[in-house]
Amino acid sequence: MARSARQARTGLKHGLMFTAPFLIVYLVFILYPLLQAAFMSLHDWDLLGYTREWIGLENYVRMFWGTEMIWSLGNLVIWRVLILAGVVWLLIRPIQRRSISAGRASLVIGGALLAVVMGFHPGDGGMWNDPNFWVSLKNTLFFTVVSTPIIAGLGLLMALSLQGKRRGRGLYQMAFFLPYVLPVSVVTLVWSYFFSPDRGLLAPFLALFGIGKIAWLSDPNFAMAGIIITTIWWTVGFNLVLFSAGLQDIDETLYEAASLDGAGRLHKFWHITLPGLKHVLVLVAVTQIIASFQVFGQVNIMTGGGPGGATRVMIQHIYETGFSNLELGYASALSLFLFALMLIVSILQFKVFGRER
Amino acid sequence: MALLTSAERATERTRRPIQAPPTRPRRAPGRRVSASVVYHVLMIVASVIWLIPALWMVSLALTPNSMLATKTSGLIPPAVTLENFLGVFQVGLTPQWFLNSIIVSVVTTVLTVFLCAMAGYAFAKIDFPGKVLVYASVLAGLMIPKEAMFIPLFTMFADMDLHNSYPALILPRLAAPLGVFLMTQFFSKVPHEVEEAARIDGAGPWRTFFSIMLPLARPSMIALGIFTFVQTWNDYLWPLVSATKREMFTITTGLASLQGNFAQATELGSLMARGVMGSLPLLIIFVLFQRHLIRGIALTSGDK
Repeated sequence: MARSARQARTGLKHGLMFTAPFLIVYLVFILYPLLQAAFMSLHDWDLLGYTREWIGLENYVRMFWGTEMIWSLGNLVIWRVLILAGVVWLLIRPIQRRSISAGRASLVIGGALLAVVMGFHPGDGGMWNDPNFWVSLKNTLFFTVVSTPIIAGLGLLMALSLQGKRRGRGLYQMAFFLPYVLPVSVVTLVWSYFFSPDRGLLAPFLALFGIGKIAWLSDPNFAMAGIIITTIWWTVGFNLVLFSAGLQDIDETLYEAASLDGAGRLHKFWHITLPGLKHVLVLVAVTQIIASFQVFGQVNIMTGGGPGGATRVMIQHIYETGFSNLELGYASALSLFLFALMLIVSILQFKVFGRER
Repeated sequence: MALLTSAERATERTRRPIQAPPTRPRRAPGRRVSASVVYHVLMIVASVIWLIPALWMVSLALTPNSMLATKTSGLIPPAVTLENFLGVFQVGLTPQWFLNSIIVSVVTTVLTVFLCAMAGYAFAKIDFPGKVLVYASVLAGLMIPKEAMFIPLFTMFADMDLHNSYPALILPRLAAPLGVFLMTQFFSKVPHEVEEAARIDGAGPWRTFFSIMLPLARPSMIALGIFTFVQTWNDYLWPLVSATKREMFTITTGLASLQGNFAQATELGSLMARGVMGSLPLLIIFVLFQRHLIRGIALTSGDK
């Protein structure tokens, strides 16, 4: 008895000794800032430290509310119908089985609530308290929804083209992966000029196809496309590596067996490759979504959020609220909202992974 | 055929390769060669197209500035000069930024790998009360986006009056739950006997850690280190917020600050040369340690 108590004590001593350095930086630089953000978001807190006034939830009201607010059935109706369709789809199986898991139930309730809440909007003569918040949220979601499937799809395509033990495979992978190691400011430097209608390489190339000069980064219709293309070039390599690792884990005998059964390429892809990559696909989707929610560098350097707010994204909005308008309290509230969005995605990820186990 | 049971089909699968050893379908040798030639030609074309923006940057950096004033849209430099590259170290603050990036990235990498290895060893090999709870809270930290929490970090460092210093650029980066997760995964695969043998030899936990565990963990530590270095070198948001004095910029924020200023457009060649120089350490690391970097990324995808 005495001996095991002593062992436990030395275990605690050594355990603390080895983990303390990490735990200290973890507490100070990850957990504490989160609490600090929650605290600041309840204040009118300016950058220079002259005002620190408790204002309760006012920052959140400012973010989500407006003047002359009304609720109508027709507001954002397509999106709300889609969300409700998702909710109904989630309910099909539980209704058949007459039982529902807690996770699914909260997803259903959350989705239904969201569909109701999205009916609120400013009526005649009213406006949102912070229209830029909604613009940046919309742009961030648009960026995420468009770039994620393209990046994942292209990464998968590249990984498939490098599948197997061919000679030169390493070199090709290197070429596709290389842009990922470049700093964001180098990537933007190249692409800003690459897109330039008068001095860039893209315009003469597009002219071959009869496409006239496009001012990619200063035309509100093309600026986001320019940012997305740049991001694709920069980050596809990362996903290529994830997919390649996933492909290597697929049992090769499955392919051999399928070949002997006379399966075609498409058949093999559909019935062996895709199921084998399922968890990598989820991982890529989630890491891409989380990274996209935090997109900032490319935007800030290439367009500064312009033209006319066409590329303004969430982090940009937080950055400018904090450092141009000096409103750290409101910027903290915005950060927490972004954090909540990402947390939801992460939790869904763990749910999906959990179900597979 | 339809009557063939699955068991029969399975035996056939195993039997057939024995009867016909070449597993690939037999083709005329000429056709196989041409198929692989087509594959390689396609892949080379795709690789070159993919790298055009990067190649163009190098080409512009090698072209004399005076020529770029009239024509920039060519891939092959009309005349080659090294002037732009030499200028990087003579004009402007680029060398200082470069030095800042080196100091910040190297110190961050060494400390991060060390802290993560220590914590990972403890979580994998030392039994102490509360371990499960602490480890779970570290894993929960994986879900907290550091990028998005720069406002409270900013006030914290402002209160300590630490902005525009190396510690401000380094400290927030050190907390890497992902690194701890990777190192814990690694150490938990080390057989228990290794440690037992060390203990019988009278080695304390520190000696066991330094002279046995660390050398064993070298491959994982290199992978984590390379990954951390690339991430730190490319960090943009936090250095932008924290290091506001020009001489404290990192190469990443410094190069970004040059681009806002379009007067530089007349010196496109030297701007591109700065871009090439700013990426050079990463390119060297990439060429030398490609495998480790890729392994590091593949590890992060591990069964999380």
